[in-house]
Amino acid sequence: MKLVFFDDYKLGVLNKDETRVIDMSLTLEELPRVGPGDYMCRLIEKWSGYKSRLQTAMLDMSGVPIEDVQLRAPIPKPGKILCMAANYLENGTLKEARPINGFLKNPSSVIGDGDTIEIPPEDADIFHHEAELGLVIGKKARNISEDEAYNYVFGYTNFIDVSARGLGPKGSDVFLQSKSYHTFAPMGPYLVTADEVPNPQDTNVKLWVNGGLNQDYSTSDMGHSIPKTIAWLSSITTLNPGDVIALGTNHQGLGSLQDGDVVERETPGLGKLTVKVSEPKKRTWDRGVDQAMADRMRG
Amino acid sequence: MKLVMYNNYQLGLYQDDKVYNLSESLTEINAPTPQDMINAVIADFEGTYRARILEIAEKVQPIPMDQVHLRPPLPRPGKIVAMAGNYFENGALSEAKPLNGFLKSPESVIGEGETVVLPAGHQAAVFHHEAELGVVIGKTGVNVSEKDAYNHIFGYVNFNDVSARGLHPTSFLWMKSHDTFGPMGPYLVTADEIADAQNLQVRLWVNGEIRQDYNTSDMGHKIPKMIEWLSSIVQLDPGDLIASGTNHQGLGPIQNGDVMEMEIAGLGKITVNVSDELNREWHRGRDIDIADWVAGRTDEPPAWAKR
Repeated sequence: MKLVFFDDYKLGVLNKDETRVIDMSLTLEELPRVGPGDYMCRLIEKWSGYKSRLQTAMLDMSGVPIEDVQLRAPIPKPGKILCMAANYLENGTLKEARPINGFLKNPSSVIGDGDTIEIPPEDADIFHHEAELGLVIGKKARNISEDEAYNYVFGYTNFIDVSARGLGPKGSDVFLQSKSYHTFAPMGPYLVTADEVPNPQDTNVKLWVNGGLNQDYSTSDMGHSIPKTIAWLSSITTLNPGDVIALGTNHQGLGSLQDGDVVERETPGLGKLTVKVSEPKKRTWDRGVDQAMADRMRG
Repeated sequence: MKLVMYNNYQLGLYQDDKVYNLSESLTEINAPTPQDMINAVIADFEGTYRARILEIAEKVQPIPMDQVHLRPPLPRPGKIVAMAGNYFENGALSEAKPLNGFLKSPESVIGEGETVVLPAGHQAAVFHHEAELGVVIGKTGVNVSEKDAYNHIFGYVNFNDVSARGLHPTSFLWMKSHDTFGPMGPYLVTADEIADAQNLQVRLWVNGEIRQDYNTSDMGHKIPKMIEWLSSIVQLDPGDLIASGTNHQGLGPIQNGDVMEMEIAGLGKITVNVSDELNREWHRGRDIDIADWVAGRTDEPPAWAKR
């Protein structure tokens, strides 16, 4: 099933052939929530009570053509965004995974399809896109074993972990400055339930800037697998329904983001997410793949 | 005004050692979670809820404080943004360290009488307490100016930024975000009750022995600067918590069976326990190595920082 937010944060599902959006507002009227921020998280929490009604709706002949709605980020404000750091074998050039590491990303930084990444005025060395597979937690998870990890996954979405390089004191953990700026977490266009993603550990991640393909890798190159990632994160902090885990990027293919850029991000079955870039200072960096960065990260 | 959460996360007013139930009267607030309740009150406090709360307190029968089970006043903040290395270390540093900070997991919060659980699965070199002034945001802000910063503060609370040292690679997630690593409380004090947040004595005891004892006047980047900087990166929302950093002079190990008390002038005292199923042991008392290192009295980092 593909869940979407659209227009003024109405929650809907895509019909079977993914051409129309069916508004589920009436069905979800009684779902306790404060607003768009926690709406999807509450639905995931109470999923078993709504699933069959949403499935039935997918067969509905009504709905609005998808091109006529404004899609929104599927989880506009997750309880947490946990990101894995340097979690790829860089197209197999590393013999083994780097030591496991991660960080929290600002949950208020999410934007959706058609929205704009706003590059801050700070004097960073460069601003990069990082295409990642985003995983959404389905139920409360604390100290989960690898064996049971997939039972805690609700679904997947395209994610871009926008990053500023070179800010903050050298030698310190500067993930706050590098990752948490407002609008630095494009996500979407929709949230796809796990049953529609048969092998998340072997799927393709693509990202284009202005039509040029920069990132194109398989999640089979991941350093610490999805179950290992869930097990490790849940040994530190309790994971809750609607929390997002960004599984890390393969650095072979990162590139700069600058004013006027159009960024597209696609994984089979997850749809295509398109966002724009605004940079009022109009700084310029090399176009295409940042080869120096790619070389630094290779084994 | 002092706000508490108690029993099954009822919101209450704390006054003269009594608690007045607010949740039962504030039925107009749509609050699927306890945090949603306090967020709503904070977001419209001066416009609506300050007066409403005083009105409610005149009508309801209070409960003596010692008969309630206190909870953390912000059970699960939307964000916890914490400052790193943000003190002059009792004036030992001639200038503030470069601005730095991190996000701490909002799931880490515990309240009065609860227990900091040292994670058995993570072999840290040592676990430290870090007593800090918690600043609670009152209104939404992006790019807030220093001049306007105090207008964005709702109030203050005791906060203990419990830390695991020496996990490699060093990252704030691994160091700071373990469940139970954010003791907070006992109550949330509105800003009008704190005459000068930049001149408050912060104290922390372990098993009755004083460890940390410093003044917020020693803060490197002061509260307005901190809010300006943080809000240039992330949007700050009502009910978000800023942990303003600690003075490292007086940090010390915590271990199984310890009792930690923390008190900031005007914010009450919070007491929490420590448990560690592995019974790991460290020396008792203050950790001189980290104190000297952070204060710049030695270039030699503590052993765990070299691991």
